[in-house]
Amino acid sequence: MVIHAFRVSVASTIATALAWFLVSAPVAGQEGGAGGAAGFRAAPIAGCPQISRLFWPCAEAKAATFNPARNPDGTPNMNGAWSPVTANGSQNIEDFAGDAFLGRQISIIVDPPDGKVPYLPQWADKRQDNWDHYIDPIGSCYFTGVPRQVYGPRGQAFIQAPGLFAIVSEFAHQYRTIPTDNSPHIGDSLRLYMGDSRGHWEGNTLVVDTTNLTDRTWLSISGHFHSEALHVTERFTLIDPDVILYETTLVDPKVFRQPWTMAMPLVRFEKGHEVWEEPCFESDHDLPFLLMEHKLWLGLNPPR
Amino acid sequence: MSARAIVSVFALVIAVSVPALAQTPGATVPRVWEALTTANFDIQDHAARPGVPAGQGIVEGNEIPYKPGAIAKKQENARKRETDDPEAKCFLLGVPRTMYAPFPFQIVYSPAYMAIFSEYAHTTRSVFMNSEHPPGLIEWFMGDSRGRWEGDTLVVDVRHFTDTTWFDRAGNYHSADLHVVERYSLMTPDHIRYEATIEDPNVYSRPWKIALTLYRRKEPNVRVLEYECYAYAQEEAVRRGELGPK
Repeated sequence: MVIHAFRVSVASTIATALAWFLVSAPVAGQEGGAGGAAGFRAAPIAGCPQISRLFWPCAEAKAATFNPARNPDGTPNMNGAWSPVTANGSQNIEDFAGDAFLGRQISIIVDPPDGKVPYLPQWADKRQDNWDHYIDPIGSCYFTGVPRQVYGPRGQAFIQAPGLFAIVSEFAHQYRTIPTDNSPHIGDSLRLYMGDSRGHWEGNTLVVDTTNLTDRTWLSISGHFHSEALHVTERFTLIDPDVILYETTLVDPKVFRQPWTMAMPLVRFEKGHEVWEEPCFESDHDLPFLLMEHKLWLGLNPPR
Repeated sequence: MSARAIVSVFALVIAVSVPALAQTPGATVPRVWEALTTANFDIQDHAARPGVPAGQGIVEGNEIPYKPGAIAKKQENARKRETDDPEAKCFLLGVPRTMYAPFPFQIVYSPAYMAIFSEYAHTTRSVFMNSEHPPGLIEWFMGDSRGRWEGDTLVVDVRHFTDTTWFDRAGNYHSADLHVVERYSLMTPDHIRYEATIEDPNVYSRPWKIALTLYRRKEPNVRVLEYECYAYAQEEAVRRGELGPK
């Protein structure tokens, strides 16, 4: 099972893992898998506890009163680079004690209150099967999908232009464009790793609706999954000059018994931070080793 | 051509200096562009052959000034293109090839940061405005792009390349010392004149130029989609039983 260590190393090369640590450590005070220190996720972010179930109500209260800096068109100014400091690079999204392969995590799921993904009974064992037998798709340098783009490895740059919001990931030079011009979704038969996102503003909140997704993406390194019926809603709200409350609700009646929601802070990188090129597939020398014991994930109904 | 028109191409409305742009019809959404040229097959004039349409090149004077001896590698590349062309491997295509490869791309502009998003292999090309190249030994597939406005023309200086990208399927190549200076200028609201000066003292005896037109995609709901070529290739390999645990 040593191969699992490679799975994490594929998702983050040594250099970028170091960068991730440098970014996340000062804010989150996290110490990865061996954790257990009393200070794990103890430091507040924007005056709120950083553990999602506590952060969520506190941040929502701040969102209701915070008046953000604005673009000339009046929309809140979220231009810049942002880090999902409590998401641990999407290693896991539920509570996890940490082991030799994946770091400690406190659930970033806020609804349902037990912090667990509400799988339908027939899928109860599927995540473990994924972890045991498949390579996390981002380990093969495929797109993260949505919403994992926002809380996945490393940081994202947001670019706001009139009628469009764009998210550029450091991971594998991937991007997502989100028209905010009231245009309709693309045809339903078109399926995209990053789906088709359309956004609109509700007060100071950017609300993004994403459809047309595939079942080729996961929600975490640990194997959380969905079908092509996944429908994602995301909400981005500034609660402080340097902190965004990010909330995302996932609906997928083929896999989940109810809608469920994750919430977490996105913290601004230092001013002038540039998201640089990260070739992934172009320099992916680990894949042949991964494929000795694990399969490529080709969806819940893989082609034959 | 007015300054207002040129910024509308890149949807630069965040700058306080162009509030009128918000009222410019059609300027509200960053636009989708695509080249209409056969340059991805060969940036020089080329006759038709099976699977390859004839095309007029984009190289000024049609001559690439390879240094003595440098042409041999181009010819070897051409012979091995089915395996060695970065496009055949589904690697990033580099600059300038991404701009004339047969895939649409979207240009998104904010005052400090411009991004070019190509449909090919989810390529992001970041152009940082009014800033310096970072120092050091950096080799990126897309290079490091730094942009500035010269009047109505956007000038982008690109350095820090790898030596692994090509200009076309004909095997035209460069070294890691490639230096590209691009100039984008608006001809009409729907056409950009794209010029690039290419220099690389390891490979060419003098700088040379390419020029082409970028056309705006006018379909009302046009969207840059996805061409995830390596994912498709790996899926095929799995189906054939060539990839995965035995």
